[in-house]
Amino acid sequence: MGKNVLLVDDSSTMRKIIGRSLRQAGIDFDNIFEAGDGQEALAVLEKESVDIVLSDINMPNMNGIEFLREKAGRDAIKDIPVLMISTETGDDIIGEAKSLGAVGSIKKPFTPDKVNEVLGPLL
Amino acid sequence: MSGLEEITDKLVASTVEIFSSMIMMDVAVGNDSEATINPYLKCITGMVGLAGKRKGIVAVHFPNEVAMAITGNFLGMDVSEINEDVQDAVGEVANMLAGDIKTILSDKGKDIELSLPSTISGDQYVFQAKSDTERITVPFIVSNGVFRVELELEK
Repeated sequence: MGKNVLLVDDSSTMRKIIGRSLRQAGIDFDNIFEAGDGQEALAVLEKESVDIVLSDINMPNMNGIEFLREKAGRDAIKDIPVLMISTETGDDIIGEAKSLGAVGSIKKPFTPDKVNEVLGPLL
Repeated sequence: MSGLEEITDKLVASTVEIFSSMIMMDVAVGNDSEATINPYLKCITGMVGLAGKRKGIVAVHFPNEVAMAITGNFLGMDVSEINEDVQDAVGEVANMLAGDIKTILSDKGKDIELSLPSTISGDQYVFQAKSDTERITVPFIVSNGVFRVELELEK
């Protein structure tokens, strides 16, 4: 059975680039779902079967940290792994994300090789 | 506190990395004489604000033709007008640059916050810095034009 991924980023361009990078990295998902912020991501997770989430941090409405905090409080979705893909690299922010359950982080800009290196072992 | 020379080096390295890893377009640093051009004619500017320990703005100014080429490379499709895709792509370039600049201005990340990216575009506009700011502008050359990366920091 194939896997499904949810891409969370307020930039539609960035969501397309991440999707393309996944394909170039040789990582095939059956379904690629998309969300523009944390609120939309929660709605997708409540409705769809998602194996892993790739999420930005700086987003309107509900940012990536708020998304992690809200997700951690919902039993049905709290165990779905989240990998952060963000321009944010500071120890404070990445540390907070990991304390809320993020399984790792990728810095923007990134290459398909970097996506494969970080995401591959998680699948 | 990071000096202007270190910040300039970071702006150049970040721009080259973004273009080589995600836009797939050759880029080279231009001449100082190309650094300052105002008003901007038929251009689009992406901006991200910095707030907290250091206050300022990171901006990238693209002629329309360059912005459309970048967006086309980003998305893998032809782009022939300044549309939402171009605005989004230009904003993301500014966002990635601001993220890299933040890494050398911030200690661990939480003492400086980044705004969400925004863009302005038009046939003619002036991008004006206040007099009490430190300002760095670096021109870059790509195959179809020259664009500028700019950082303004409150003194």
